[in-house]
Amino acid sequence: MGREAILKSIKQNKPALLPLHEINLEAFSEEVNLLDTFKSNVELVGGTIQELKKNENLTTEINKRYPKAKKIVGNSQTSDIGTIPISKETEPHQLENIDLAIIKGEFGVAENGAIWISEQDFPIRVLPFITNDLVIVLEKENLCLHLHDAYKKIAGRERSFGLFISGPSKTADIEQCLVIGAQGAMSLTVVLI
Amino acid sequence: MSHSEKAAVFNKNEAKVNWHDKALWYVREKRDNAAHGVKGWEYLRELASGIKANVLSNLDDYLIEFEANALANGIKVHWASSAEEHNQIVSKILEDKKAKKVVKSKSMLTEECHLNPYLENKGIEVVDTDLGEYIVQIAKESPSHIVLPAIHKTKEEVDELFQEHLGTTPSNGNPEYLTNEARKHLRKKFLQADAAITGVNFAIAETGGIVVCTNEGNADMGSHSAPVHIACMGIEKIIPKEEHLGIFLRLLARSATGQPITTYSSHFNKPTEGREMHIVIVDNGRTEQLSREDFRASLHCIRCGACMNTCPIYRRSGGHSYDATIPGPIGSILSPGKDLTKHSSLPFASTLCGSCSNVCPVKINIHEQLYSWRQIITKDVKQPLVKKTILKIAGVVLSNRTLYNIGGKSARFMLKYAPRFMVYSKLNAWGKARELPEVKNQNFDDWYKEKRKNNG
Ligand code: SF4
Repeated sequence: MGREAILKSIKQNKPALLPLHEINLEAFSEEVNLLDTFKSNVELVGGTIQELKKNENLTTEINKRYPKAKKIVGNSQTSDIGTIPISKETEPHQLENIDLAIIKGEFGVAENGAIWISEQDFPIRVLPFITNDLVIVLEKENLCLHLHDAYKKIAGRERSFGLFISGPSKTADIEQCLVIGAQGAMSLTVVLI
Repeated sequence: MSHSEKAAVFNKNEAKVNWHDKALWYVREKRDNAAHGVKGWEYLRELASGIKANVLSNLDDYLIEFEANALANGIKVHWASSAEEHNQIVSKILEDKKAKKVVKSKSMLTEECHLNPYLENKGIEVVDTDLGEYIVQIAKESPSHIVLPAIHKTKEEVDELFQEHLGTTPSNGNPEYLTNEARKHLRKKFLQADAAITGVNFAIAETGGIVVCTNEGNADMGSHSAPVHIACMGIEKIIPKEEHLGIFLRLLARSATGQPITTYSSHFNKPTEGREMHIVIVDNGRTEQLSREDFRASLHCIRCGACMNTCPIYRRSGGHSYDATIPGPIGSILSPGKDLTKHSSLPFASTLCGSCSNVCPVKINIHEQLYSWRQIITKDVKQPLVKKTILKIAGVVLSNRTLYNIGGKSARFMLKYAPRFMVYSKLNAWGKARELPEVKNQNFDDWYKEKRKNNG
C-alpha cells in the first residue's frame, strides 16, 4: 500500500543509474534585439504593448486605454490609479467584479513574451486571473533572452507562488477557433516604462 | 470493439473526419513553425530525453527528495499505488473538509483513475473547467485528445449542448459567444467551490514545488479561489532541478500547439496562508511499465499531444477509437502495458512511419515500441484476430487517406480557416497558399462496403 510499496517497486524495476548532464547554454545564445523580440512575441500571444513616452503619465495612459474601468486594483509601486484597496485578508469572491488590475512585472522573456510575476507583487493570488483586464508594468531594461536565463534570475527568490504569464487567457476548444478571454483575464496590456 | 471497428464508426461522417484530419495536421504545422524558430531545438530535445532517462533511473530518490521539500513548505503529500487508492485519498480529503462542490482543471491522471464518477457517487459535484473538458463532460463523453479534448465535436454540436445545459440562445455555433457563456458559468463555479483539483505538469525534486500549465487560466482560478487545492500527479512527473523547467517549458507548448509558451505557467511552492494544499503521487501501473526495458521510455511523456497531431491513423480514426484515456501513438504503447488483451489491436493502429518519434519533444522511440508490442502480441494473442486487425486498419484508415496529398490538403485548410487564427498569423505565410484543385472524394460508406466484401 502507498508510499513504501511504490518506492520498493521503483527500486526493483528501475534501470542502472544514468548521468544527468549539464546544460550547455552556448547552444542557445543568440544576438537578438531583446526589446524588439519581446514586443513582437507579446503581440504574437495576443497581448498589447504600450510604450510610455517620457512626458506621459502612467495613470492617464491607463485611464485612456480602459475608460470604462471603475473597479480598479492598483499597485502603489507604479501608480495611484487604484479604487479598490485589497490586502492578504481579501477573499477571492470580493474580487469577482474587478474591472482592471495593475501589477508590476519583475522581468520579461524575449523568446516567448512571458513576464514573471510573483506573490510578492500582488497580495492575493487570484488577482491576475480574476480581473477582467490586466495591465502589467514592466521596466524596459528588465528583459532576458530565454527561459534558461529566466530561471537563473528567479533561482534565489523566496518560493511561494509565481508564474510566467504570456498574453491574455485564451482557448481554441470550439472547433479550433481561437477565442481570447477564457477563464482568466480578457486582455493583457504590457506597459513598458 | 477493436480500434479498426471504432475507427469505422468515426469514419461514417466523412466531412467531420476530413475536418478532424486537417485541423490536426494544421496544429502539427504550427508546431513545426514554432520549433524551427528555436536555436538549438534538437539539443533541447536531447537534454529533455536525457533528463527523463536520469529521472527514471533514480526515481525513488527523487520522489523522496520531492516529498521532503514539499512537506517542509507546508504541503501535504499522499501516495497511491492504484487508481482506487487515489480516489479514496482525494475523497477522504474532501470529506474532512466537508467539501461538496469541486472544480477540476485538466488532469489526464484523474481521467485515468475515473475520479469523477467515484466522487459523484458520493454526492459530490465535480465540474471540469477546461472548456474542452467541460464540453465533453456535459456531453457525457471522454476527451478524445489530451490537449484538445473536444476536437471531435463540431461547433454546432457544442451550440446544442450549451442550449441544453446553459440555456444559451442558438448561435449557429458562434465560438466567441459560446466561450463567453461558459466563462460566466464557470466563474460562478470557481467562486462557489469548496475545493479545486488540478493536474501537475512538472514536480521539482530540488524545491518540492509543482508547475501547472494552462492557456485558459482555469487551474489558477480554481486553486486560488477554493480553500483546498489538491494536485494529482503520476510518479513520472518528477524532474530533478528547477533549471530543467527552462528546457521542458520551451518544448511543451511549442510541441503541443505551436505557441511559444502556455499563457500561464504557474509555480506552486507553498499553500496560500491559511489554506491547504495537497499533492497525491500515483503509481497505477507506472512502476510495472518501468520494469519493461523496451517500453520504459514511454514514461518520458510530457503529454504534449504532438504524436497524435502528426499521426495519419489518429487523424483519421479519432481519439475515441483507442478506447483509452491516452489515445494516439503514445497511448498505443501505454495501453497494452495495462491490458494486453483488451488493447491488442492498438499497436497495429500505425503505419510505423515514425513521424511520432520525430516530433516527440522527449524523443520517445514510439514507433519502435509499437513494433516491439506487435511482436509480443503476435506471439501471445490469437492469430486470426491479429491478422484481421492489421488488414482492417490499413483498409479503413489509410486507403481513404491516399485520396489526398498532405501538402495540398493542409494548404487548402489554411485558406479556409485562415482568418480564425489571427493571433498566429505572423508565423504562417498565408500568402503562399495557391489555388488548389478540388479533390473528388469517393463516398466512404460505399467504398467501405465494397472493400469489406472483397476482404471477406
Ligand atoms: S509521446 Fe512525446 S509527442 Fe506524444 S504526447 Fe508524449 S511527449 Fe508528446
